Amino acid sequence: MSAVQAATTQYRPAGSLDAATALLPYTGPWTPKLAAHLLRRAGFGGSPTEIDNAAAAGMNAAVDALINFSHDSMPQAPDADLSYGRLTTPEQKRQANIAMTMWFLNRVLLSPNPLLERMTYFWSNHFTSSVDGGVTPQMLVNQYALFRRNALGNFSDLTHQVSQDPAMLFYLNGAQNNKRHPNENYARELMELFTLGVGNYTEDDVRESARSFTGWTVNRQDYTAQFVPRLHDDGQKTFLGQTGNFNGDDIVDILLRQPVAAQFVAHKFLRHFVYDDPEPELVAAAADILRSSGYNVRVLMNGLLRSNVFYSPRAYRALIKSPLELAVGSMKLVGATEFTPRLAGGIVGMGQIPMRPPNVAGWPGGAQWMNQSTELARLNFANQLVYATPVANVQATAASMAPAMATSPPSGPPAMPAMSTPMEWIGGANTADPGAIAERIIWIALQDDANESQRSSILSFLQTDGVGNLVTLNGENLDEKVRGAMSLAMATAPYQLA
Amino acid sequence: MASRRQFIVQSVGAFAGYLAIDSIFARAARAAGTAAVTGSAAGRSLVVVNLQGGNDGLNTIIPFSDPNYYKVRPTINVAQEEIVKLNADLGLNPKLADLKDLYDAQRVAILQGVHYPNPILSHFRSTEIWQTAAPDKYVPDGWAGRYLDEAGLPANNLFKGVAIGPILPQLLIAAKTDVPAISDLRGFSFRGRRDEQRQADNILNGASESYAFQSPYLALVQGVEHDAHAASIQLPQLIAGYKPAVEYPKTPFSQGLNLISAIVNAGLGTKVFYVSLGSFDTHVNQRQRQDTLLAQFAGGMKAFYADLAAHGSDDRVITMTFSEFGRRVSENANRGTDHGTAAPMFIVGGGVKGGIYGDHPSLTDLDFGNLKWHTDFRSVYATILERWLAVPSAPVLGGGFSTLNFV
Repeated sequence: MSAVQAATTQYRPAGSLDAATALLPYTGPWTPKLAAHLLRRAGFGGSPTEIDNAAAAGMNAAVDALINFSHDSMPQAPDADLSYGRLTTPEQKRQANIAMTMWFLNRVLLSPNPLLERMTYFWSNHFTSSVDGGVTPQMLVNQYALFRRNALGNFSDLTHQVSQDPAMLFYLNGAQNNKRHPNENYARELMELFTLGVGNYTEDDVRESARSFTGWTVNRQDYTAQFVPRLHDDGQKTFLGQTGNFNGDDIVDILLRQPVAAQFVAHKFLRHFVYDDPEPELVAAAADILRSSGYNVRVLMNGLLRSNVFYSPRAYRALIKSPLELAVGSMKLVGATEFTPRLAGGIVGMGQIPMRPPNVAGWPGGAQWMNQSTELARLNFANQLVYATPVANVQATAASMAPAMATSPPSGPPAMPAMSTPMEWIGGANTADPGAIAERIIWIALQDDANESQRSSILSFLQTDGVGNLVTLNGENLDEKVRGAMSLAMATAPYQLA
Repeated sequence: MASRRQFIVQSVGAFAGYLAIDSIFARAARAAGTAAVTGSAAGRSLVVVNLQGGNDGLNTIIPFSDPNYYKVRPTINVAQEEIVKLNADLGLNPKLADLKDLYDAQRVAILQGVHYPNPILSHFRSTEIWQTAAPDKYVPDGWAGRYLDEAGLPANNLFKGVAIGPILPQLLIAAKTDVPAISDLRGFSFRGRRDEQRQADNILNGASESYAFQSPYLALVQGVEHDAHAASIQLPQLIAGYKPAVEYPKTPFSQGLNLISAIVNAGLGTKVFYVSLGSFDTHVNQRQRQDTLLAQFAGGMKAFYADLAAHGSDDRVITMTFSEFGRRVSENANRGTDHGTAAPMFIVGGGVKGGIYGDHPSLTDLDFGNLKWHTDFRSVYATILERWLAVPSAPVLGGGFSTLNFV
């Protein structure tokens, strides 16, 4: 048994699936916990206010607000020079990469359309590319724009366009694939990772598909994709049992007509949005939606986000937050409004370099996020975040801390452009009542999902000092005690779960 | 999964709890140390050194008798008189001189021409292939991680593997074993304030408590939280009795080896260590950078094995180097070299049969300008697994590979 199989068979939720009703609309009670669940899965977590609003709106209105994207005035590209040329120095490349990463993170954090950002993240981990093999930050930013335009669009359209995307043409060597020297890299991954899954095609299919895609390359002057007829092999090809003078578009069409393609894509959606190792019956039902809608992603997501299975106890906290989800959700929880390079470095310490998946298979997710080092990095990220201190000139501070992107854990509280105060976190709770403060913190951070020993520890923390003596909350210690209680709530196991 | 998390943690009151767990653990550690003295594989360990970035093998083990060497390396060659000669044809880069005593004592094996089928010239993918031992598929875990899962080691040992550095390398990612990655003892801890630390035990070790919800991942997360917390508290105490017998160089690489020596000599039962040195990605002005790094490597090895010998443990630790690839045979226009393929590996330690294994690959019969490999890297891993760690290699490597004679 391969380890990939091991990793995906062990984390199916306990209990059994009611396949007949799984994808029917959920009509049970709409609770704040389920509102928080929706915002964790269809975005990167909600702030306490966003959770309250989604809870008050009701399920259908809350999903409508996520699915119907509103106008977005956020920057479409980093405000920095991303062009790579012959004279670009390693330091300029490093700065361009940092600018790209910060642009991406702050979009995800501040976007009025969380599901748009979540889908972009999903697509970037499906049609994986990265700044490697000649891909520049500008090309990757352009690819993300493609994902954004097609976020809830048509999977077939997106697959066609990705096949002619400059970053993808570089990343998987399509740009080097020509009639005389076919390069099979893209042809193989298109089937193995993007549409069919391993075992559903032969090595002959890989070769014939590669021949069909020949001719697409990247113009080295302006980094746009172009088709060069003299590089294209226009002979007959036999692919998945069909014969003709195919080009790349024909290959994509043939692939998506395979019954297994809809199942493969549906499985990916279910793993990302619902739970790991979904039952074959559930996969088949979701694949039916894809097929009958002609691969309409909006129809699929509309169904999933309103379904019984999505709101079932089996799906609740059934996934592990990726470092990106953990970081963005934590920023929203404490009301922080801007990622700094140092906070971005914290995500790297948790095991995820934003916009840079480890290989074309993408981040495997789930159990792979969890080891002692990444876990300590999670605790320390949260601990540093709650003690962040707003400073006036964060740009200067950020610049001086840019090396922190290199993952080594910095010490001392990070600088933060703006963040809510601990008094705002606890809302109207009685500041003299440690019990009320503990309840409020456990609610906004964990929606009450702590266990008894964690609850009593957070209360005890608010009532004692570092050597165990009883203390009373007062103007002297209240701010720090609330920050510490928040850090402890964020250190619990439930906080790591989405 | 269960085996990783089976043991339930007592949520005892803060400080007494640490001490109780610690003393149980210390007994287990002493027991592991005792087993080692009997001479079985139980006390043996492997240190994997990643020469990260693609080390140029041709300027590491130098075929100085081949005139083609000086032709393909007109500006970045090492002059004959500087080379530390090992025989009539091959010699060490002079910056590796610190390895010569170990080599003369038959404690260094040099394996030439090692690589994998269908070489990939991407740092990321090739590094992944070396760490997973899977050249033809994507797998999430590393070969050493699979070994730790399969080796039948005590379930409650938190230190079956140890990586030096901020991030766990894929080499030591395992389905059932949780390996700590440690940059330094200070960084390997929950850095909450004192009053937060007092509560950390109950917050992180809530395994005995139930939650109001179920999650397929809850046991895993709870277990990792426990392990991380316990390991970060125990480790400084467990190695407190160790004193280095030599002064290690002040480089991060040697400081990492120093921490490895501390863990080896505390008898924690650790089977695989990982430490990296780099970057060897010498596209420009190669000599300067590679010389510096090779000197750091050899200086570290010399101190490490002297320290282990002084503690009587040098026969229980072998070190294996790898790099994601060697470099292009012909130098480029920037006094550097571009990504290549086959390269030599070093195996160092008391259990090693020293010498040179395999021929130096031809400098003229090339594969698109790159050296042709003749020894599959999985044969090296199989040798270490079978002959040093005394486990069957096929389950770890996903198939059988012939073994070599260096152990």
